[in-house]
Amino acid sequence: MAHAVHHITPKKTLIQVFIALIALTVLTVVTSRMDLGAYNILLALFIAFCKAMFVILIFMALRHDSRINAAVFALGSVIVVVFLLFTLIDTVFRGDLPNTVEGTIMEQEAADEAMRMRDPSREELDAGPGE
Amino acid sequence: MASTSVASAGHPGHLQHHFVSEEQQFDASKMGMWLFLVTEILLFSGMFVAYTVFRIWYPEVFAHSAELLDWRLGGLNTVVLLASSFTVALGVHYAQLDNKKGLVINLILTIVFATIFIVVKYFEYTGKFAHGVFPGINFQPHGVGGGHIYAEYDIPFAAQFFSIYFVMTGIHGLHVLVGMGLFAWLITRALRGHFTSSYYTPVELTGLYWHLVDIIWIFLFPLLYLI
Repeated sequence: MAHAVHHITPKKTLIQVFIALIALTVLTVVTSRMDLGAYNILLALFIAFCKAMFVILIFMALRHDSRINAAVFALGSVIVVVFLLFTLIDTVFRGDLPNTVEGTIMEQEAADEAMRMRDPSREELDAGPGE
Repeated sequence: MASTSVASAGHPGHLQHHFVSEEQQFDASKMGMWLFLVTEILLFSGMFVAYTVFRIWYPEVFAHSAELLDWRLGGLNTVVLLASSFTVALGVHYAQLDNKKGLVINLILTIVFATIFIVVKYFEYTGKFAHGVFPGINFQPHGVGGGHIYAEYDIPFAAQFFSIYFVMTGIHGLHVLVGMGLFAWLITRALRGHFTSSYYTPVELTGLYWHLVDIIWIFLFPLLYLI
């Protein structure tokens, strides 16, 4: 009774997916040995993504599974993307703002105030020669 | 587990009393497994984020350090792990068709592939350790081997690459070992005839776990060995 509703992936499909996965592995090795500049990384990640989708949809049978499991998996994946992007927003742009200084805004304002209160002429007198 | 309970008429022994049907029990178990797999993904994502951050900061160091990893061994392990995923999928297929022999053979093949993976990993690790390529503060590459002069890899932040490499592949390898134990357990249960087309939940769930371990490696291989 129960097995009637479970999707049974045909053996032929499993073999085809396995061959596709091996072919993609060969492809990623071959393309990684060519010089494609920045595209090397993008292509390798794209091929890895395709392989992962094959495994998830066919081997893990998410294609024929309950939609709630797909939602659980998709939610987890979204969280990973958020984790990665929000970390990179920090780390990638560190040091990109040249006009930043040490110290808090209040400390800077206090320093500016001190600068304004200074009497330059008095200082020059202090530094005068032959006192 | 549940298989020991008494089967009443129209109520299979493996069906726990708080479930309405076998189908509901199966779906609940499977959703629990998917939730667990998400936590596994999050565990590894922390390491993938660390990899990405350091790679963006020091792209040349990572590209240079990756040369020390042998893509042929990594490629072999990729093929081996894909093959093991295939045999697990076949095992579930046979379990669904009440083919005990097919299930057991494929579970054994899976353990064989997993063993090859671990053996290759062992030789990779010991090959690195022999030349002082350790994770953390003990990183001190020296000597000559495999066409590499190891001292050339003693550059700033190379240690970070290898720390990330060892931690990621190490925790992945730990998952492979756990999977092997689970498959051994499944084989003993399958031989005792515990699994039928109406009850093969442990095979299905362990299969899902194994496919996830495979997916992690699908990303680790290009990131660490190829680019």
